[in-house]
Amino acid sequence: MIETASEAGTSIVGMLQADAGSLLSLGGRTAGVLQVSDWAFVATNWEYLLAGTVVTMLLTITSLSLGFLAGFPAGAIEVYSSGRLSDVVSTFGVLLRGTPIVVLVVLVHFGLPLPRFGSIPWLEVDLTAFLSATLALGLRSGAYQSQVFRGAIQSIDDGQLAAARSVGMSSRQAIRHVVFPQALRRSLPGFQNEFTIVLKDTSIAFAIGLAELLTRAENLYLQPGQGTAVLEVILTITAIYFVLTFVTNRSLEAIHRRYSIPGGTE
Amino acid sequence: MSVDETEPAAVGDLPGRRRLVVLVVGAVFWTWLLTRWIYHNAALDRIFSTLGLPGLIRSEVPVRDREPWLSPEPFASAADSVASFGHGSGLPEVATGWLVWLCDLLAFSIESAPALAEGAYVTVYLTVVSILLGLAIAVPLSVARVYGGTVLGRLSLAYTELIRGTPLLAQLFLLYYGLPLASVIESLGFVGSGWVPGPAAFVAIVGFTINSSAYQSEYIRSALQSVDEKQLVAARSVGLSKWAGIRHVVLPQGLRYAIPGWTNEFVYLIKYSSLAAFITVSELFGRAENIVTDTFRTTDVYVILALFYLALVLTTALAMERVAASVAIPGVGQPDGDR
Amino acid sequence: MSLLHFENVSKSYGDEEVLHDVSFQLDAGDVEVIVGPSGSGKSTLLRCVNRLTEIDDGVISLEGEDIHAMDENTLRRRVGMVFQDFNLFAHRTARGNVTLGLTEVLGLSKHEADERAEQYLQQVGVADQADAYPAELSGGQKQRVGIARALAMDPDLMLFDEPTSALDPELVGEVLAVMRELADDGMTMLAVTHEMGFARSVASRLAFLEDGQIVERGPPEQLFEQPQHDRTDEFLGELTDLNR
Repeated sequence: MIETASEAGTSIVGMLQADAGSLLSLGGRTAGVLQVSDWAFVATNWEYLLAGTVVTMLLTITSLSLGFLAGFPAGAIEVYSSGRLSDVVSTFGVLLRGTPIVVLVVLVHFGLPLPRFGSIPWLEVDLTAFLSATLALGLRSGAYQSQVFRGAIQSIDDGQLAAARSVGMSSRQAIRHVVFPQALRRSLPGFQNEFTIVLKDTSIAFAIGLAELLTRAENLYLQPGQGTAVLEVILTITAIYFVLTFVTNRSLEAIHRRYSIPGGTE
Repeated sequence: MSVDETEPAAVGDLPGRRRLVVLVVGAVFWTWLLTRWIYHNAALDRIFSTLGLPGLIRSEVPVRDREPWLSPEPFASAADSVASFGHGSGLPEVATGWLVWLCDLLAFSIESAPALAEGAYVTVYLTVVSILLGLAIAVPLSVARVYGGTVLGRLSLAYTELIRGTPLLAQLFLLYYGLPLASVIESLGFVGSGWVPGPAAFVAIVGFTINSSAYQSEYIRSALQSVDEKQLVAARSVGLSKWAGIRHVVLPQGLRYAIPGWTNEFVYLIKYSSLAAFITVSELFGRAENIVTDTFRTTDVYVILALFYLALVLTTALAMERVAASVAIPGVGQPDGDR
Repeated sequence: MSLLHFENVSKSYGDEEVLHDVSFQLDAGDVEVIVGPSGSGKSTLLRCVNRLTEIDDGVISLEGEDIHAMDENTLRRRVGMVFQDFNLFAHRTARGNVTLGLTEVLGLSKHEADERAEQYLQQVGVADQADAYPAELSGGQKQRVGIARALAMDPDLMLFDEPTSALDPELVGEVLAVMRELADDGMTMLAVTHEMGFARSVASRLAFLEDGQIVERGPPEQLFEQPQHDRTDEFLGELTDLNR
């Protein structure tokens, strides 16, 4: 435990102590100004940043998937079961939604006895950190997705359930064939929302040293002599994030349009 | 991005019994927190000193030296006695282990309380100031978007899309490490002395304000758009100008529709203010990190931290509900329970 | 043996008694129309027949069997229901609405289900809309799909809960025409409706329900021309004014 704790000590405090003063002026060159030499520095490290982008995307996808797998049943449970199970699920939901994601990520990474994996070649990512980040981001996303799903289920007119039952379907069949298909479709906007949120929040993995985009940005400008490139590096990764969220949203919207029921509000 | 990027149900509904628990715990929590803040507030100290009561407020005590008001001793010794009882009786570790951990945790949280309270102060004022400033920017921003015509509308849209499409942490890094904003603020002289927070806090406020303004303008925009067009038509036919109509008829209704969004935004900012720690602000998360480096008790600290944030978030959500109820007009912007 | 038998049926919601000691019998092939002021319990009565609502007192029997003793899903295969708001499955085409029950409840293969669906959609006159989604259909078409959906289960009894009340006036006729044909084919029907023209020409019996009790019941002609209760006369008078 001491090992991980001291890791905690150095990685986060180290970053907290990143001396703002010394970054701002470096031997005559200044940081707040855009310079060609700094852009060149960014350009030379394109592969490093690309790997970071890939890690960010991977993390987003794994977290969202976990979120869906956890959130979908959680939402259904909150609607359809009463009693202990539903209470437990909703309490977990409140806990996950009420705690800052940073706290969740460090809690998972330093608090849970996770197995120590190695790292992946080329991507050079610490798998344990990746797992912690996925768990934290995924479970939190699941807590939000459960609410989306719950709302979608509840928005489906009771009458359709009555119709399904009067044709002889059991409650379970009615829910499975009439409620869920429509609820899933109605959850799409909320899911799309979650995608962007999780994508941006992968930057939180910075706190546990996962080599995603933001961490790599810092690694670049903290290299000796590269302090003036801070602005260029951060602008670059900000642009990358923007492109990612933009493209993702447009694609999801296109998919949504393609699969929507004509004339329906789904 | 036409999808409304609002987070659904910030915290969710709190059914009866749990709500009561939150209310009670919340009341105790806030009483303690507020007393701590008042007790160590520099501005109040000056006031009371001039009034002839210098000892009432102790703002000069640095955070490290502050003593907790409750003694952690009983809990620490309780932990010890349960532990020895457990060993002696031969019960499995699991049965007594959690109780020992719990007593230990309680003792530890009492010891950490003063530092955390100081951090919470920063968290709260960061949040409140940023939301208010953000609102001041968001209202004209959203009015420009809805009523401003193509150029203003597009500009407003671009601003919002850009801010909402990039991570808050990256924005903070940009402002603090990328731009010379911090040193510019520092050169203003009065910063960092007395009760005025340091430059990092200012930069954090700038960052949160910009971020919050983008999100708030979205909430307000959709709220404005849910006010029936005919309301404005009616206002104009009574003789009000377009802007007067917006101001006196559309906004009062629209802003009420936006209340669920605000609750979301408040809760969001309380949680994400934790990111300020990454630009050296000593708010709640930052203080917790200090405790971690001092004691190495990572899990314990983070558990206490999570509970602390939870207390802030849940009490805020409940308070906002009260606010919403008190300004509610029948038929206008009733929360549909899902946002 | 009667097809449907209500014996001293009562139902309350909290303190409010919605059905009070209701008794009547339907034989196979009968077409019974129930009328009454709103809140009189008409919809509740219908929903008790397929146990969407459970009664508090009394017995309802279908072909001599107490429906409460049956498995409710089995019961609902034998009793079809058509709703005021259509309640079509919004995510499925017209054909899909009909086949869902066939595949999931009756266990038919997709092919068999499709064939059967075609047949019933044809019967109600919406075969050309088989691939349309509910949102693309007119009210009258939706209701006819609803009727086809219920019919496809091959029920012994059909329940109609104000089937035309949500329709624009010019669409009412097409739905009533389908119902008339069903009656002519010998289907046993229990319908809540305000369409008096339909009642007079198609119904074998008319029942006037008020405050949860059957005030009067008999052939439509009798209730219209020689009602035994003033209230019946009053109410039917109001109804026919509406219909005019």
